[in-house]
Amino acid sequence: MPDHSVWTLRETLIVAVLGAVFGVLYLGWVQVWLVLQAIFGALTMDVVMGFWFIVSIIAAAIIRKPGVALVSEVMAAAVQVLLGSPAGLLLLLTGLVQGAGAEAVFAATRWKRYSVGVLMAAGMGAAVFSFAYTWIRFDYGSLAPGLLVAMFVLRLASGALLGGLLGHYIVKALYRTGVLSGLAIDRDARAAGA
Amino acid sequence: MTPARPVPDALVYDRVSLRHDGAAADAVGPVSLALREGERVLLLGPSGAGKSTLLLAATGLFPRSIPGACTGGIVLRGHPVTSRTPAEWADTCGFLFQDAAQTLAGFTVRDEISFGPENRCIAAARIPDLVAEAMRQAGIPQIWADRRISTLSGGERQSVALAALLAQGAPITLADEPAASLAPKAARRMADLLLAPGRTTMVVEHRPGPILDHIDRCVALGRDGRVLAEGAPHEVMARDGAALAEAGIALPLATRIHLDLPDLIDPRLPLRDALLRVPPAQARRLHDAVLPAPIPAGEILTTLDGADCAPAFGPVVLRDVSLTLRAGEVVAILGPNGAGKSTLAACLAGLLPPRAGRRTGAPGAVAFQNPEAHFSQESVRAEIAGLCHAPGRVAQIFDRWTLGEVAHQHPFTLSQGQKRRLSLALLAEADRWPVLILDEPTAGLDRAAETVLGRRIRALAREGRALAVITHDMDFALSVADRAVLVHRGAVQFDGPCPALMRDAARLSLAGLEPPEAAPVLNWLAATC
Amino acid sequence: MLRGFHPLPKLALCLAWIVASLIVFRLSFQVGLFVAATLLLLLDARVPPRRVLLLMVPFALFGFGFLTTSVLFRAESGFALQMAREQGAAPDVAPGLVLFFRVLACGMVSAVFALTTDPGQFVRALMQHLRLPAPLGFALMQSMHLVPDLRAEMLQLRMARAIRLGRPLRRVPAPGEAFALAIPLLAYAIRRATRAALSFEARGLQPGRARTHLPQPPIRRRDWVLLGVGGGVLALVLAVLPPGFA
Ligand SMILES: Nc1ncnc2c1ncn2[C@@H]1O[C@H](COP(=O)(O)OP(=O)(O)OP(=O)(O)O)[C@@H](O)[C@H]1O
Ligand SMILES: Nc1ncnc2c1ncn2[C@@H]1O[C@H](COP(=O)(O)OP(=O)(O)OP(=O)(O)O)[C@@H](O)[C@H]1O
Ligand SMILES: [Mg+2]
Ligand SMILES: [Mg+2]
Repeated sequence: MPDHSVWTLRETLIVAVLGAVFGVLYLGWVQVWLVLQAIFGALTMDVVMGFWFIVSIIAAAIIRKPGVALVSEVMAAAVQVLLGSPAGLLLLLTGLVQGAGAEAVFAATRWKRYSVGVLMAAGMGAAVFSFAYTWIRFDYGSLAPGLLVAMFVLRLASGALLGGLLGHYIVKALYRTGVLSGLAIDRDARAAGA
Repeated sequence: MTPARPVPDALVYDRVSLRHDGAAADAVGPVSLALREGERVLLLGPSGAGKSTLLLAATGLFPRSIPGACTGGIVLRGHPVTSRTPAEWADTCGFLFQDAAQTLAGFTVRDEISFGPENRCIAAARIPDLVAEAMRQAGIPQIWADRRISTLSGGERQSVALAALLAQGAPITLADEPAASLAPKAARRMADLLLAPGRTTMVVEHRPGPILDHIDRCVALGRDGRVLAEGAPHEVMARDGAALAEAGIALPLATRIHLDLPDLIDPRLPLRDALLRVPPAQARRLHDAVLPAPIPAGEILTTLDGADCAPAFGPVVLRDVSLTLRAGEVVAILGPNGAGKSTLAACLAGLLPPRAGRRTGAPGAVAFQNPEAHFSQESVRAEIAGLCHAPGRVAQIFDRWTLGEVAHQHPFTLSQGQKRRLSLALLAEADRWPVLILDEPTAGLDRAAETVLGRRIRALAREGRALAVITHDMDFALSVADRAVLVHRGAVQFDGPCPALMRDAARLSLAGLEPPEAAPVLNWLAATC
Repeated sequence: MLRGFHPLPKLALCLAWIVASLIVFRLSFQVGLFVAATLLLLLDARVPPRRVLLLMVPFALFGFGFLTTSVLFRAESGFALQMAREQGAAPDVAPGLVLFFRVLACGMVSAVFALTTDPGQFVRALMQHLRLPAPLGFALMQSMHLVPDLRAEMLQLRMARAIRLGRPLRRVPAPGEAFALAIPLLAYAIRRATRAALSFEARGLQPGRARTHLPQPPIRRRDWVLLGVGGGVLALVLAVLPPGFA
């Protein structure tokens, strides 16, 4: 049985590479969001938010070890800061909070379960953490309760769908390409199949 | 049994069987074999026999990093391999993997070469000299130190991998087809370095001819993954030649001609001497044994007119190239490593537009130097199904390229030869391309597959397609091509009949190439007819 | 010239300017920084102008989002306004414009660092001076080399796809094609990480194992001078244009 908490060389490299690639993709997503926001208005941010959680979910679902969700999300944030994200330095904190949200859900399963449900829950976990964070940062207390509920529900749904579910499909597609063989996801799939 | 030796053997496999995770059968074994200190062993075997897997197990990379199961015992310099991690064994045993891009990590040349010595804790002050010396030995210009691996040609990468191995300085070397994409002169340099007398090296090669003189002992694996023959190289070739050929293992050309024409060529004599005794009336048979049957050439399908060719995102490497490809013609594109052959292929096929000049004609297809570039599906069967042929034709394809046994496997888990066969099958069996360019199609192929490929190339030409074959194997070029194009120093240096170029040793030598093993036959034919 | 400096002071300087760009919410500062970084790229790093323009495309596209919202939709992006308010900006110009130039400025400063620094030297400096563990260092180095290689890999994938589908290769990928390449590109990144790990192991890299480094140029006086001059200019600029904290 391989050690459950130490990252192997291969896993470290995969987290680094995923963080870098998704850092770039996240920046692209800002563009999508801005255009949508101009069309649909303020609530758009909550609708598109889930995609910014996705790297933690993908990396965790592949490697299945403590810390993967958190580190990959922070790594992606760092790449964005270096490339000049509009959110500025605070993005590092945002990444930390979002990563911690996903990590918390995986920790609750003791890093053992990675079904669609758990992945969607992790997306929702990241959504809850990030909602709390934006609440403090943007002083949501002054908003109308109805609007707040709508924002919260939208963000939860986005975390579950754009983060968890989309992440799940991407992981499945990656699994089919064969590049994940020998990683925890592959070992578990074989153990389940055997 | 052998008496106790003062030095333990460098590497001992004792009844070793290896099985990949998820595979239904063992990839290789049970195999027992030993590599003694100061001995140079050539490991032969048909594609898929498990040679690469066997080498990977030597330091425990298989099954520690590549998932699988290993039974039997492996002992390195007297210690069981499991007593250390693969990284700790790096001081003892260095690898040249079958794919040069696997030996390297994709950094700059300097970083790649200094990586091994750094890990061995060599004093920092000595490393720059080590790096420079390794580059000099491997024939890499010092000014390349800052180039990134991804901007090098296939053969240049292989040279950098060799330099990295030399700098690592491990006493035991395991080399898996180290010269597969090297031009003949570079391949000789590689053999002189890796197989210098006194070095402890195990080398896998599909084309044993050029290195046979550097070898102390030869071990051949059969299709069943067990040892088929073992002994001094020339002895094995003479004694077990037929069995090896049966298993699909390539023999030196002379041996092959001896086997094919036993009544003409005396198998006990060197080829040159044996030819003296062949009656001129038999020239036809000898001619047919080394040269292809002619095909009438048809209309022009593709033209490059004054084209400047450049690799993607790179500088122009070939200037003012004018070439035509005709239906029914097979053209060999030859040249040293880094001459721009792969670049020319992409230009000829219309995949990369020339920077200057014009390309006209129907679009073509390229079988890339890296076979993995063609894979997009989950299994070999799905890849072949993507060709949309009738079931009968599909069965024929599996059969022809012997891919039936691995039909369910993921393309990326195939052995190198199987990958090559699959990528060639995907191109050579697709009926839509009038122009087909194969980039080093024989790299990694065993003799059986090479024969199939040669036949298929001729059959496609007879159907009226135009083919270009980039290769470093002069004998293969001679056996399939009517015309040869030599690229060197940024320009086309020769464009004419293939046998004429093959007899021009001076011109070949200028371009870092060497005459084929069949050159004496060509000369004999020219003198006789 | 910048190429000859030690990576760590250079990194410190670039980070300082990026941080300044993130906290000074003024058009003049962002435009100035953008122009300065571009000039450095052209004149000092001698990057061909065409390549600099190409480098700008992704940043510009992305920064464009702020412009499209304010120009196309005649509405300032709520986010941009929020950012402006949060960072205490004077609402004299469209915040979208400031954000647009900020993206360009940060992107170009990062490019100045990336294009004048050898990744090997940089990672070794981190390992030597900041005690970064070697596996992390080489993981970082792998990411730094991977990002530029993605472009070549994308072209290779497109060529193979064109051959498979029997179509001529288009110059610019269609949106559908780009989308279809997303998973293969991700797979390439993971495959490359996997192969690099095997190559590291086969050549003796192991966490916690002692190793030496190819000797690197030390931090010299001129590096301190660079740091001093760059930092001084920044301090001066900040004195004239104080950060806009509310
Ligand atoms: N990951 C894997 N999963 C399943 N089977 C595998 C895997 N890797 C290799 N194999 C199979 O194991 C067998 C031996 O492979 P190996 O690469 O050792 O062959 P080889 O003798 O080196 O062949 P070649 O000359 O073509 O390189 C092949 O049939 C291959 O398909
Ligand atoms: N992206 C690039 N940037 C700069 N130079 C490049 C790039 N790609 C290739 N080159 C150089 O272009 C030359 C031609 O490369 P090419 O791959 O066509 O060579 P080749 O003849 O196919 O060699 P080989 O036999 O080794 O495969 C090489 O010297 C190579 O170093
Ligand atoms: Mg092999
Ligand atoms: Mg080539």
